[in-house]
Amino acid sequence: MNETLSQSLRDYSRAAGGGLIIGMPLLYTMEVWFHAFLLPWWKLLLLLAIAFVLVVGYNAVAGFRRERTFVELLLDSLVALGLGIVISLVALIVLGQIEPGTSLRDAAGKVALETIPVSFGASVASSQLGGKGGSAGSRIPRGFARLLVGGGGALLFALNIAPTEEVIMLGVGASPLQLLGVVAATLFATYVLVHYADFGGSGRNRARGQSILEAPIPETLTGYVVSLLVALLLLWSFEWSEGAGFSAILAMTVYLGSIGAVGAAVARLLLGGGQEAGAK
Amino acid sequence: MKRNVVEWAVLALSILAITTLVAALVIEGLSERRPANPTVELKTAEARLGALGWILPATVTNEGDAAVEAVILEAEATVDGELETSELEVPFLPAAGSVDVAFSFSAQPSDEVKVRLVGFREP
Repeated sequence: MNETLSQSLRDYSRAAGGGLIIGMPLLYTMEVWFHAFLLPWWKLLLLLAIAFVLVVGYNAVAGFRRERTFVELLLDSLVALGLGIVISLVALIVLGQIEPGTSLRDAAGKVALETIPVSFGASVASSQLGGKGGSAGSRIPRGFARLLVGGGGALLFALNIAPTEEVIMLGVGASPLQLLGVVAATLFATYVLVHYADFGGSGRNRARGQSILEAPIPETLTGYVVSLLVALLLLWSFEWSEGAGFSAILAMTVYLGSIGAVGAAVARLLLGGGQEAGAK
Repeated sequence: MKRNVVEWAVLALSILAITTLVAALVIEGLSERRPANPTVELKTAEARLGALGWILPATVTNEGDAAVEAVILEAEATVDGELETSELEVPFLPAAGSVDVAFSFSAQPSDEVKVRLVGFREP
């Protein structure tokens, strides 16, 4: 179906708005501007590539175009990333963080880091805030798709904290008992969020899981593991793990992973409980 | 699924934006990096007498390709026959970046103001 021009413009406006809403906190975070320059260029590219894979995963399950081929899915994800770049560039110029005197490396680094949340926001806004509703049928197994989407949510939430020194402060001061408490609280909170609290009616589908990854307890556990991996990736990317001992890295991963786990839970909720697509 | 003109235009713009960003990161990343090199340009023509002394604006520029933190600068001049110093710190100086600062002395110096770099931290 060929959409009208005005509808397309509305879709892109919504995507841009969503990108700004999700990306705004990080656009205003000083640590992100500094890290954008301090991180090696290949780490920035790697983060951008991982974000792109997660955007593709998210769009595959909940994207705004229905009944599309894999190439169209990739093109839509490129648009989300491209919109993220343009919006980040404009926002950083408006905020005075990219000026005529700013070096190309500095500007590119800032845009690259800020593009991650903004492009995700653009995807979410396109799929969730429009009037078309419902998850698209996808060839990706739903259990795996939930992990991909969960990884996206984890990246989005953890990215808000990862550049700041609070991660180190929490990690250094934590006792093993505290860490166990954080793990237990995180698992409990995310289980309740996704499988019990019935956000947006998602809970009504909880009994319909077909794959093992969609059953409540395995789903909660795998979502948490993905969040911990995302946390570890960010700790390494932002170089907090450099020179830190095993116990400090473990503690930082647990703390950052708990924020990521909440993000992963929210992202899975956006899918409507995971079984909805199959139920329709 | 067919795309309309707007969708093709946005797709083209997106691919251009992604290509430009990736190219910028790769080219800048692979190019030779000069070490950090903070320099100071004194703006003597803009010097003025303030409520607490003689103010001398200056611009600190990093001519290297590596960012530095805690750049400490010391300016020295003779004021009323005595040697006087003015010290300031720039918290963060990005590569190829510059920051406007101002040194201050109790009164207008009788000779030329000399600035030296005390040190900086490499992040």
